[in-house]
Amino acid sequence: MAADATFALPPAAPPARPRVLLVGTALASIGTFMAFAGLLGIYLSARSAVIHKGVAWLPKGASIPLTPGNMGFATMLLSGVTMWWAVDAVGRNDRQSAYLGLGLTIFFGLAVINATSFTYTQMHLPVRSTPGVFIYAVTGAHLAMIIAGLVFATVMTFRTLGGEYQGRDREGLTAAAVFWYATIAVSAVIWLAIYVTK
Amino acid sequence: MAVTETPPETVSAASETAPSAPRPQPTGLAAVLGSGDHKVIGRLYLASGLLFGTFVLVLGALFSDEAIAPKTLDVFTRDTVFQFFTLYRVGTVFLLALPLVIGIALAVVPLQVGARTVAFPRAAAASYWTWLTGAGLLLASYAMNGGPGGGRASGVDLWIVAMAVLTLSVLVAAISLATTVLALRAPGLTIARTPFYAWSVLVAAILWLVTLPVLFGLLVVMYVDHRHGGTSIGANAGLYARITWLLRNPQIYVVAIPVLGFAADVLTTTARARVTLRPAVLGGIGAFGVLSFGAFLATNDADAVKTPLYIGMSLLALLPILAVLAGAADTFRKGSFHLTAGFAYAVSALLALLLGVAAGALGSIPGLDVTGTIYDIGVSHAIVLAAVIGSIGGVHWWATKVLRQPAKEAPGLLAPVLLLLGTAAVVIPDLISGLAGDKGELAPDYTGGIKGLNVVVLIGVVVLVLGIVTALAALLPALSAADDVAADPWTGSTLEWLAPSPPPLGNFTADLPVVTSAEPLIDLREEA
Repeated sequence: MAADATFALPPAAPPARPRVLLVGTALASIGTFMAFAGLLGIYLSARSAVIHKGVAWLPKGASIPLTPGNMGFATMLLSGVTMWWAVDAVGRNDRQSAYLGLGLTIFFGLAVINATSFTYTQMHLPVRSTPGVFIYAVTGAHLAMIIAGLVFATVMTFRTLGGEYQGRDREGLTAAAVFWYATIAVSAVIWLAIYVTK
Repeated sequence: MAVTETPPETVSAASETAPSAPRPQPTGLAAVLGSGDHKVIGRLYLASGLLFGTFVLVLGALFSDEAIAPKTLDVFTRDTVFQFFTLYRVGTVFLLALPLVIGIALAVVPLQVGARTVAFPRAAAASYWTWLTGAGLLLASYAMNGGPGGGRASGVDLWIVAMAVLTLSVLVAAISLATTVLALRAPGLTIARTPFYAWSVLVAAILWLVTLPVLFGLLVVMYVDHRHGGTSIGANAGLYARITWLLRNPQIYVVAIPVLGFAADVLTTTARARVTLRPAVLGGIGAFGVLSFGAFLATNDADAVKTPLYIGMSLLALLPILAVLAGAADTFRKGSFHLTAGFAYAVSALLALLLGVAAGALGSIPGLDVTGTIYDIGVSHAIVLAAVIGSIGGVHWWATKVLRQPAKEAPGLLAPVLLLLGTAAVVIPDLISGLAGDKGELAPDYTGGIKGLNVVVLIGVVVLVLGIVTALAALLPALSAADDVAADPWTGSTLEWLAPSPPPLGNFTADLPVVTSAEPLIDLREEA
């Protein structure tokens, strides 16, 4: 058999319809996004009320360094690319690229957690203060969302490559990607509302 | 070359050569506790909602009794009245209305859209057990002197956690229900052909998904704050003030969105004719959902209720109900009239909803200044009771699918009348007291209301209890098994009536026909 012979694989099974997991994840992502919309709405409302009184929002001695925030957000954006790469690789049945894409996404996710933890050490912001309560609640909840997204993506990648979803039917990982993109969207809003606006 | 694809024929061949032994179906308690069957989960929600709801109703009756002599506290003590008050207010939504609404939706919606199961059945089951845990934690938090105004910090923390758990359970149920309607509809059943009730549950589930997470986020902040001194959100008593947006219009309307679908479905089925104003009814239900979005009040800005947005939403919320009524009336004009208990429940639930929404519209008019008074409680009571009447009515209407055989019609006709009269007697005095300037929610005894009118409220509560007892008396015979129960006792038009009564696991015993209109059973009858 010639080395360059091509092998005709049977056509991939048509994608399973309906895409229940994808629809469910999209709804869950909307719900999660709204939770952060609520959190940030309450945060901005409290911040506005304090500033209206002529008082500085952050207590004396506290600051929110922008560099780790920028790094964290840029890393999240980068993880969006690697997640897309993993989804695309699964669609092409390219295990190596899929594992690499997912590995990088997890690495970037962990890097964001690390950057946020580092920011906490630099803020000198007591929890027993109004900004402290809100900022730790919002960013802490986002860390929980990142962890949930990473676990979801990991499980779905292994299930896809394990054969639960076949070939172009990559609903599981696509669903995980949808949730991850929601996580990135939330981090964009947090970056703007907390790190940039302060 | 990496090949990860297994040809489908290989899989089917392998399964043919090694057939797996059928798993024995669990029986007895295991069939209930470990079930992912949407009908079992729905029944669990309904039974628990009635159980916890009875407790909430008793609490409401005690407050009504207390309000007859508002200057003195005879039932509650000065230390505990605020805690009982908050338990009652939160309980009406989370322990009474929502479990009943979710229960009947879980039991009926998959059948209506021709699905063999609910989407994410294990998540649906988890939502019930999470809700039950949350309800238990909520009561435990009050039992250990927690909750808003509680004297024990760990009890207040537990209250916040319990509220978060309850919220989470509703969100999981909402995802399960919305996904069922969006992704598991039978072939040919487009969104435009979706039955009214299933559509209304979809709208409600989406509204829960976009508003209750805001409550969840607020609870996260509350927890962090309370664990660290409680200086930002407010001390114990301040916690309740932060969640009152959930209990007032327009947000409270999200609890009763399925009432519109239930009423539209029952009324048009009773008329036994095709619905020509279907887009208006579907649009009305959708619009009511949009106008129920009240999460923007979560910022606790007192001026938010004076904005044109709030006033406009409150006034416009009346129109969708009128659209549903118009759709039903038009169908009756072309069809025929049959007095059934389902019809009586539908009308009662719709009138209670109309009362609440009309009162909400009136209360939003600038100058009346009823915000934060007992008037708000009256609006909230009307909406919650509309949801309760609609849910009990749903169990009666779909008794052959939810339970085992048809419910008794005679007591079923009486119950909604009693429930409607009770609702009017409970709600209208509160509205009058609010308009007359009574500041109920600010009163030291948290009972409020005008003394003479409060007697009417107490009578209303008694009538409500009588109504629920009568409704249960009508439903009790439906719990026992019977032979040859008709699949379609109402000459229905939607797919749930194709399922055997009671439906087996998997709901349908044969493949469903491809749906070609919004009334597939009328099509089948016409073809036959």
